[in-house]
Amino acid sequence: MENARDSRVRVMVWAGVVAALTLGFAIVPFLTDNLSFMFYMMLWIIMASAFNFVAGLAGYMPFGYVAFYGVGAYATGILYKTLEFPIPLALIGAGLTGATVGLLLAPTLRLRGVYFGIVSLALAMAAKLTISLMPADLTGGSLGLILSSANDPLAAYYAMFVVLLLLLATATWLSMSRTGTALRAIRDDQEAAAVVGVNVVSTRMKAWISAAVFPALVGGVEAWYTNAIDLESSFNLLITAKSIVYAMAGGLGYLVGPILGSGLLYGVDQLIWRQFPTLNLLLLGVIIVLLMLMLPRGIVGAFAQRFSKLRKYIP
Amino acid sequence: MNELLLQGLVNGIILGTIYALIGLSLNVIFGVLRVVNFAHGEFIILGAYGAYFAQKLLGLSPFLAMPLIFLAFAAMGYGLYFVLIKRLAKSDDPEHASLLVMFGVAIALGALMLIFFEADSRSLSYTLDPPFFMFGSVIVPTAKLVALGIIVVITAVLAFFLYRTLPGKALRAIIMNRDAVQIVGVNLERMSALTFGLGLGLAGITGVLVALIFPAFSPFIGQDYTLIGFIVIVLGGLGHPVGAVVGGIIFGLTEQTALVYTSGTTATLLGFLLLIGVILVRPTGLFGREALK
Repeated sequence: MENARDSRVRVMVWAGVVAALTLGFAIVPFLTDNLSFMFYMMLWIIMASAFNFVAGLAGYMPFGYVAFYGVGAYATGILYKTLEFPIPLALIGAGLTGATVGLLLAPTLRLRGVYFGIVSLALAMAAKLTISLMPADLTGGSLGLILSSANDPLAAYYAMFVVLLLLLATATWLSMSRTGTALRAIRDDQEAAAVVGVNVVSTRMKAWISAAVFPALVGGVEAWYTNAIDLESSFNLLITAKSIVYAMAGGLGYLVGPILGSGLLYGVDQLIWRQFPTLNLLLLGVIIVLLMLMLPRGIVGAFAQRFSKLRKYIP
Repeated sequence: MNELLLQGLVNGIILGTIYALIGLSLNVIFGVLRVVNFAHGEFIILGAYGAYFAQKLLGLSPFLAMPLIFLAFAAMGYGLYFVLIKRLAKSDDPEHASLLVMFGVAIALGALMLIFFEADSRSLSYTLDPPFFMFGSVIVPTAKLVALGIIVVITAVLAFFLYRTLPGKALRAIIMNRDAVQIVGVNLERMSALTFGLGLGLAGITGVLVALIFPAFSPFIGQDYTLIGFIVIVLGGLGHPVGAVVGGIIFGLTEQTALVYTSGTTATLLGFLLLIGVILVRPTGLFGREALK
């Protein structure tokens, strides 16, 4: 059993991380006109961290994670463009749609391991096909939706910032409350957790719905930022791939893991992308392979293993 | 019976056997190694390019290229086992780790093909004479008929290997109980490497058949074949050779008969819904016996 001092230190480390992220991203627009880099940095931190909620804290690998992102983007587009909602309401609608899709897919949580991952992937494809079958005057058909009348990059930047703050709050809740303890217990031994009185189904649902809402919100805000939505980019499997890679590179199961992983790898990704667009994909693939073979627990996980005395302080 | 429906059923069975072959090789790999080969589709497309270049550069017909591609891919798989797969056994969660490693391989291999073979769609300029047969009112292209024959032969050889020969029996024994086989003197490492070789060799052959019967292929479509393979094996039951064959034919029939009545998109969607429906009723697939962790 860990003592109170250790957990206090851990909370303080996490508070420091939260404060640094909040301050850092809040002042970016005052320092530079080029918001894009930091906007996408926030996007990947949120995507990777929310993936960690379900993969690191609950032990599920949703390979169709991109489904929530795509559904969020389309919900925003349809609510704004076709139903003429104001953007903030459309974004809330996107979050609610994400939660609804999460609830609809909740029965798949009784599948385990690889079965869950593959069915999740099939569901993402099914979501994409379903949207492509919806009437073209709703979804814009193969051309997609253009939201140019809503163009306001600075407001979209701060909308993403608000989503980031919500994510940090949710991460704190999921990890440091009784829910967090229950989640870890389920991940490590589901039967044992149930025996000691953890409500497995409802605890797991909290992590699952959290992991569904954030990509949906991110998809919506990104659609607003770029003013464009189309099937191929909204349901691109690379979005799942990058979320997984960034989260794993940092270290699944730690709150700071996906944040560190996204920060580092997104930076590297952008550098390579500017220089050699084609090599970018090749490198992404090679990095995944090398990470899994050399550093399967991620940077933070390897650090925790090497300096095991400090492990209890890592949020 | 409706003629179109009959045509759909025939197409369903022929494509179903291709899907079954994809599922069979995935299942042999998963059953023995507990590796989910996310890069299978990319290897299939690489096989298709193999047939393309064998014809273009060496003047070999796809049928002559097929055994060569099998051997080349089997050797590649044997080598890759030691580079990629062997180290995964030590991981905390080998199945997910393998899924992610092969995911990385899929992305890298897709990118390599894009760099070397370019983004254009290619197709084999190979025609058989006569180009098609008529069975009553049902048209069957000769290429599809030949592919069907080849797959039946390969499946029969594979079944003979798995159920009648000693290495095959050892392989099935590994599927049933990994730990016990080592006690009775099976060299697990060598068998595992051979299995990965066999799986990739079959992926290469599948690629040649894909090049033969589908109009075109490009570096981007590997993912589609991987996904079909996954649907087939989850439908039939992970690691179960017979399950893969049944799953493949069911999926092919569903997709192709749906195509008679609706658009291609709806047909694919129905395939996915079939998978989701089956898996929710039977979480380990049609032939899966126990809950696999």
